[in-house]
Amino acid sequence: MSLKDCYNALEGDFDEVLGRLRSERMIQKFVLKFLDDASFENLCTALKDGNGDEAFRAAHTIKGVCQNLSFTKLGKSSSELTEALRGGFNPHAESLAEQVKNDYQQTVAAIREFKSEVDA
Amino acid sequence: MRKRVIYMAKAQEYKQKILIADDSEMNRSILMDMLEDAYEIIEAEDGNEAVRILSQHSEEIDLVLLDIVMPNMDGFGVLDVMNQNRWIEDIPVIMISAESAPANIERAYNLGVTDFISRPFDALIVHRRVVNTILLYAKQKKLIGLVADQVYEKEQQSSLMIDILSHIVEFRNGESGQHVPHVRTLTELLLRRLSQNSDQYDFSRAEISMIGTASALHDIGKIAIAEEVLNKPGKLTDEEYEIMKTHSMIGANMLKDLPIHQNEPLVKTAYEICRWHHERYDGGGYPDGLRGDDIPISAQIVALADVYDALTSERVYKKAIPHDTAVEMITQGKCGCFNPMLLRCLLDVADCIQEEMNKASYRVSRSDLQFVAEEMLKHEELSASDRTLRLLEHERMKYSFFASLTEEIQFEYTLSPPMLTLSSWGANKLGLPEIIMDPINDQKAVGVLGLKEIHAFSAELRSTTPERPVVEHECKMNVDGRERWYRIIGRATWSDDEPPRYIGSIGKAIDIHDSRMKMSDLEQMASHDTLTGLLNHAYAKKQIHDRIKSRPQGKFALAIVDMDHFKAANDNYGHIFGDRVLEYMADNLRKSVRGGDIVARVGGDEFLIFMEYKEDIEHALERIFNKLSGQYEDFKISVSVGAALTEKVGTDYETLFHAADQALYSSKQSGRGRLHFFSESMNGVLTEISPIDSEGM
Repeated sequence: MSLKDCYNALEGDFDEVLGRLRSERMIQKFVLKFLDDASFENLCTALKDGNGDEAFRAAHTIKGVCQNLSFTKLGKSSSELTEALRGGFNPHAESLAEQVKNDYQQTVAAIREFKSEVDA
Repeated sequence: MRKRVIYMAKAQEYKQKILIADDSEMNRSILMDMLEDAYEIIEAEDGNEAVRILSQHSEEIDLVLLDIVMPNMDGFGVLDVMNQNRWIEDIPVIMISAESAPANIERAYNLGVTDFISRPFDALIVHRRVVNTILLYAKQKKLIGLVADQVYEKEQQSSLMIDILSHIVEFRNGESGQHVPHVRTLTELLLRRLSQNSDQYDFSRAEISMIGTASALHDIGKIAIAEEVLNKPGKLTDEEYEIMKTHSMIGANMLKDLPIHQNEPLVKTAYEICRWHHERYDGGGYPDGLRGDDIPISAQIVALADVYDALTSERVYKKAIPHDTAVEMITQGKCGCFNPMLLRCLLDVADCIQEEMNKASYRVSRSDLQFVAEEMLKHEELSASDRTLRLLEHERMKYSFFASLTEEIQFEYTLSPPMLTLSSWGANKLGLPEIIMDPINDQKAVGVLGLKEIHAFSAELRSTTPERPVVEHECKMNVDGRERWYRIIGRATWSDDEPPRYIGSIGKAIDIHDSRMKMSDLEQMASHDTLTGLLNHAYAKKQIHDRIKSRPQGKFALAIVDMDHFKAANDNYGHIFGDRVLEYMADNLRKSVRGGDIVARVGGDEFLIFMEYKEDIEHALERIFNKLSGQYEDFKISVSVGAALTEKVGTDYETLFHAADQALYSSKQSGRGRLHFFSESMNGVLTEISPIDSEGM
């Protein structure tokens, strides 16, 4: 599985990120690092606690990272969730959060598969 | 301590520093990856940390990459603080954010950011913009330093040239070398006073300095006067005097013939001064016989200053005249007629002329320097040259060195951002970090002093003035889990604004626990009877006095208790036993009264009870009286008591005590072992007041 395949699996835009960051080595490093990023856990905790501010910031961070790495799909759903949370916690955010969770799982699954081949 | 990674530059190679403030570790690492080869990177996880790093390293940081959405303090908050502290003028900020709504971008630019990069960013663009911004600012900084140094040097040199020139003139004159600085000092003094005294004149600081400089040239014409005339010890002949008088016109012509600089204000003013500094207000001077305000004010003032210094200095042909005499001679018109307004100014400044002149020799260059510095500071773009930064850095190094040596709790507090900095010894002693952001909401910091004391101390600091900014505050602090007394000496810092704003404080806390405890032991000793631990008479009197004063409407009773036949206890069982009886009695008394009542040993076997009451004081005192009677070992205790009420005799202590004593006398007369209240009928009864036992007579 190439890095490009990984991007296809997580429905991101590899050409775009390569155009911006210019180094496949660097992209690979940060894609793998995405697995260690705590923002998603922070988001889940904040949502569970009903902490609107914290949830907003976590969603915002995920969105920023996705934008940097051109994770288009997760970027889109986290961006929508960010906007929904901007004014504080609200019921509409719940369904969007579900979408973010699904997209996150898809993204992480793709990266894990890629990682297992890199490590091997 | 949060994580803060500093990637050190290779040894000996200076790398510019970039502060990256972003709450996402991923985002920071992406930026770092792109920049760390060429720059030293400092990371901040949120706005608070960014501000903390900036406040410690604002001179070293060359660029800030700032995120908007962060916990604790967001990017706009950081920009606010950077504006308040004027860091934004020296440190460029590039905002990087996904918050690319136009309102956010506009707000960021309004707060002074240099550039705004929206996410997702292009690595090349970030790199290019960082490089460009740093280059631009570095150039600007260098330029500022260069300009500052040149301005400084130019001022120094021109001042130096004038000093040399006027010194040559003086040297030839055989004068002390002090005449020129003296005239200059007095000229400036009079100009400042004139601006205050008169609506007609208002000289700016720059003008005063310029006229002062021009005054140094007033006698340059003397270069052309023959040596024999110039330095003749005796009186000049008429002919010689005429030659001497030409120096003013010669000097003026020398300036007029300058091939360049004709339009410089300094040259124009110097011309006026040279030509007309021997004119007099009534037209009686030379060379033109100008009258009144036809003589330029600069020349009028230098003329006055010249005459004053000539009088008070020693010359080849005369001795020095004392200051007072000189002022008197001038104001009485003995040295020619001067503008009355200037004479007024001379009298107004008379007291400080000598002092100012003594300072003059070094003051000249110092005040110039200060002036240049102030002018530079007025221009925002010249806010701080490298020189100033070096000086500041030096001061800070000095301060932190000395602070590290002393075993003191020193602190510095700034209101904006709210930040408390402790000396390292102090921080260690108190178990606090050296830097505490927002200390008023920091539980550990508040725990040391307590909110109440913090607010009290803060109120004291805020009530100071820039002229008297120092306060002392004694309070208990929690140190190592124990409460100890400290004296906090604080100095409020006030801004230069009008009106000044309170912007923080500096100070130190001194442990006074031991000396204070000693004091309170001494107080205890001074106010209490050593045997019984009750109050002594003097102290009880003071307390009673205070009590009555604080409750003018209250009703009080004072009772004197005297032990019957106490002398027998001493005589039959010995003094040690007697003391034990007294201790027992004191203890009994203490138990018999209420908490707020005052009990004292007046002397010997006499005790005093002072209490406030509402009604039925007779019954209350009777109850006490009954409790006091009894037995101590083999000794039967019986007491006589006399009581007086403020209701009856008023609130004067002496009267009250005297009345109670008369009642006591009455109860003893009636056979002892009873309680008597003072009544009018006792008045006039002869009493023998004795604090010492009078039993057995």
